[in-house]
Amino acid sequence: MVRSIFMSVILIFGTLAVVNPNQTFAFSGQVVERGAFGDDVIELQARLQYLGFYNGKIDGIFGYGTYWALRNFQEQYELNIDGIAGAKTKEQLVSVSEYHRDWVHEQIENGNRFTHYGGVPLAQQTTAGAGSSESTDVQLPTKYTERDLQLMANAVYGEARGEPYEGQVAVAAVILNRLESPDFPNTISEIIFQPGAFTAVADGQIWLTPNERAREAVLDAMNGWDPTENALYYFNPETATSAWIWSRPQIKKIGEHIFCY
Amino acid sequence: MKSAIYLLSIAVLALGLYSFEVRQQNTQLEQTVQAQYTNALTNASEKLSTLQRSVSQSLLFQDQQALEAELDNIWRISNEFRSTISSLPLSRDVANEWLRYVGNIGEEAKYASDNRDFEGWHDRMQVVNQNLQSLSDEWTVATSNFYQNDADISQWTNVAEKDTEQSPFKNVASNLKSYSETDFPLTASESDWLKKRDLQNLDDKEITKEQAIEKLEILIPGIKDATYTVTKSKEDAPYPFYHIQFVKGSRIGYADITVKGGHILSFLSERPIQEQKGVSQQQVRDLTNDFLKRAGYNDVQIVEMRENHQAWHIALARVVGEDKALVYPDGIQLKISKDSGELLGLNAMEYVQREEINEDQKVVPINWETFFRPGTHVEEEKLIYTENEAFQLRKCYEVIARFDSKQNETFRIVVDTENHDVLKVEYMP
Repeated sequence: MVRSIFMSVILIFGTLAVVNPNQTFAFSGQVVERGAFGDDVIELQARLQYLGFYNGKIDGIFGYGTYWALRNFQEQYELNIDGIAGAKTKEQLVSVSEYHRDWVHEQIENGNRFTHYGGVPLAQQTTAGAGSSESTDVQLPTKYTERDLQLMANAVYGEARGEPYEGQVAVAAVILNRLESPDFPNTISEIIFQPGAFTAVADGQIWLTPNERAREAVLDAMNGWDPTENALYYFNPETATSAWIWSRPQIKKIGEHIFCY
Repeated sequence: MKSAIYLLSIAVLALGLYSFEVRQQNTQLEQTVQAQYTNALTNASEKLSTLQRSVSQSLLFQDQQALEAELDNIWRISNEFRSTISSLPLSRDVANEWLRYVGNIGEEAKYASDNRDFEGWHDRMQVVNQNLQSLSDEWTVATSNFYQNDADISQWTNVAEKDTEQSPFKNVASNLKSYSETDFPLTASESDWLKKRDLQNLDDKEITKEQAIEKLEILIPGIKDATYTVTKSKEDAPYPFYHIQFVKGSRIGYADITVKGGHILSFLSERPIQEQKGVSQQQVRDLTNDFLKRAGYNDVQIVEMRENHQAWHIALARVVGEDKALVYPDGIQLKISKDSGELLGLNAMEYVQREEINEDQKVVPINWETFFRPGTHVEEEKLIYTENEAFQLRKCYEVIARFDSKQNETFRIVVDTENHDVLKVEYMP
């Protein structure tokens, strides 16, 4: 008797899993809206794309493209049109779409360019490695690009990896302050590679692979933090030999660096 | 013995060959760099001559069309010259002075073209034209040695390392400095902007180090009883502030608080963040509002939330007037951890430097249906204050518009409410 009940339970759950595979990887319980980032957004974009509402990149970033697609979905399914993926919207989405979680995550991890439209074999929707160079995994203020972040993270890691976190944010902030100043070039790349501007460029340390801490420091600077209070230069007083840099008005010292105008 | 000598000879020979190879590679590299510098120098010299000719030619025309074409040229060439000059290994002050001076010419050209201020352009450029000519002559003299047959890379390294006083660019640098001051004195709006940056209007009562820590602990109770190191800003800093560094458990961070009034300028704390997401977006919003109340920031509103791997970055702007316009330059930024909702950062530098609002600016309605092409939907419209290129704070319409297409491409457009100048167009991903 016990055995037959046990077998029945296994059969019921097994049948459910086969009949409704998209339920296996349903959303988390959190409400998802514009500005969000992560696995829930990946699932949302994939499901919306499965139904043809979303035509952008599946990257886990809830931007305007995802927002309009979600609103269109809500309108079509007579839900509250607010561009927010709450419980009802998610439930409706899960019931009318499929989501191949493992496949989608594999494509993202491998840097493949891919789509997730319904009715098209998955194998036909991916191009190996084609999207890797454009992969985005952070949300930046609109005036900055992923390339800016990468380049600045390299500069910060090369210049200040031994410094406290504040000192790393400060180096990133100096680069951004130069971008605002009329005395410096107009792009982050030109500022970093201006001859003689950064020691890490001269000694090749800029080409070391930056760690997550350096990237986070750059992200904070891009989001407005400036521990230097508007500095344009910095130097290590133990090693600086230029009389000119000592003549600059100083603001504060962070770690081994003095920051100045 | 013979074998040892034989082996030693082979080793010496191999070493000799290796060092010859390395030396050859170095020479090749030096020659490549030298060629690039010479190319950049030639480009810069040509651009400088073209710029000077173009400024001179602009003084010929009264005809609007002819003058506008020349002004566009000047703006373009000045940008190209700036880009080229920044790729040369000049000493910092020479490079900075060039970038500033030529940048000013370009900005003036753009301003004259945008505002049809042709008379003003002619007045200002009479002198600039002569000074540019003399700078061009001095530049030719200063750079002539770099084209000699025996030129080598050490000439460039000397320029980068030596003080300007000892470099061939000494005269260029000193003239650039003086021309910058006389030809482009600070405008009223620039000077206002600098004043704000320097917090010169802050005249509150001074607080002590202990009071600064107390203030910090009220705002950020999570760091109460941390170990603090407090230093004061350097003598040259334009406004005095306390630089408070703290350690509490795994948290390490800093806060800058003004000596006058104890205004918190920025705060940032670093600690290991758990991968598990512990707070929802709504909770982050609630935590933000709780903090704003506690800190007394009663006149700000969330304008953007961005989630990343470790934390949420939240942008807020001050709200003013009956029409609840957002003053973007008076912003506050917060950083809230994803694992527990702890406040990891606060940046209120701009909020402390409050802008003065001109409430009298006219708001002339715009018909968006004729402003945009068919197929463009205006989804949101609000009033904001933002700076134009002349650093003047202007009341503007901020519009979120999208193309009615499969991709739903979305844009943020900022339009002056009075003269309908388009100040910004940004693609919203």
